[in-house]
Amino acid sequence: MKPAVSRALLSLASRSLGSDRRTWAMAMEAEFEAAVEDRRPFLFALGCLFVAWREIGKHSEGRLILASYALALGLLIPMAALQFQQAVGFLSSADGPPYGIPSAGDGPNLYLIWSQNSAIPILLITWLLLAMAHLCLAWMLVEGDWPRIVKCGTLIGAAMITLSLFMGVLMLDLSSLKAQVAELVIEFVAVVAISRWHIRISSDASPELLAR
Amino acid sequence: MGRSRRPSKQMLLLLEALSAHTQQWRHGYDLMKETGLLSGTLYPLLIRMTDQGLVEAEWREPEHPGRPARHAYRLTSAGVAFARMATPAGPMAFTKAAFA
Repeated sequence: MKPAVSRALLSLASRSLGSDRRTWAMAMEAEFEAAVEDRRPFLFALGCLFVAWREIGKHSEGRLILASYALALGLLIPMAALQFQQAVGFLSSADGPPYGIPSAGDGPNLYLIWSQNSAIPILLITWLLLAMAHLCLAWMLVEGDWPRIVKCGTLIGAAMITLSLFMGVLMLDLSSLKAQVAELVIEFVAVVAISRWHIRISSDASPELLAR
Repeated sequence: MGRSRRPSKQMLLLLEALSAHTQQWRHGYDLMKETGLLSGTLYPLLIRMTDQGLVEAEWREPEHPGRPARHAYRLTSAGVAFARMATPAGPMAFTKAAFA
């Protein structure tokens, strides 16, 4: 167990060091076997992680990694939690009166109730899909997997448009989406800013580093 | 420049270990064991000293087959001069016991 944890710590340290310090990350990884033989792999790996985190703010790639973590932890994961909360809230409110139409004296509109109830599964799936997509986006951003980030962002956009259409047409109520659309715009701007930063760093890197 | 600052005791320990055999390539873990420094202290020192041109590093073939190549370090001529300047009384002046 402990060597596996130590290896994971070392791997995290290696990733955090960035391409500027790639040689040093490889040097630390090469010494890990000696630390295992000496039965001190955990202490060694912990020290390497400390080095990586001390170095992280000193190079542009490290600052990009920090910004990616901040965006993932500060915006994307809370957004995912919000989507899950919305899905649960939506499910619990489905038993109430029809959406968007105040109770009239002549009783509820049966057609409206039927159409809204029919839409509940697809809306629930879409909410959950949005939440999962946000979690995936957070993970991919930290991983720096840009082709998948683009695909995931497209999926989020498509899911949000679907949700808006269904909520508008069937539920006649877009109030629960207003805040989310605003947050999605902020999220989009932040991801685009990070991607531009990533492109700038990649173009500044030497051909040798790009080849690795 | 950073080099004009008085070296820390950890740096002096590392200089002592490296200046004992200036032509010999030393591995990171061996330096850790010899100096008593932890990886979190040793590697920032090695990184800084390499950036300053005091230490040179190269990949060495593993002693045992199947193991990865290891990074090895030794003082450059500037590093040797710096070690002499930092410790005018000689290498024995900054042993681990002296800092204890």
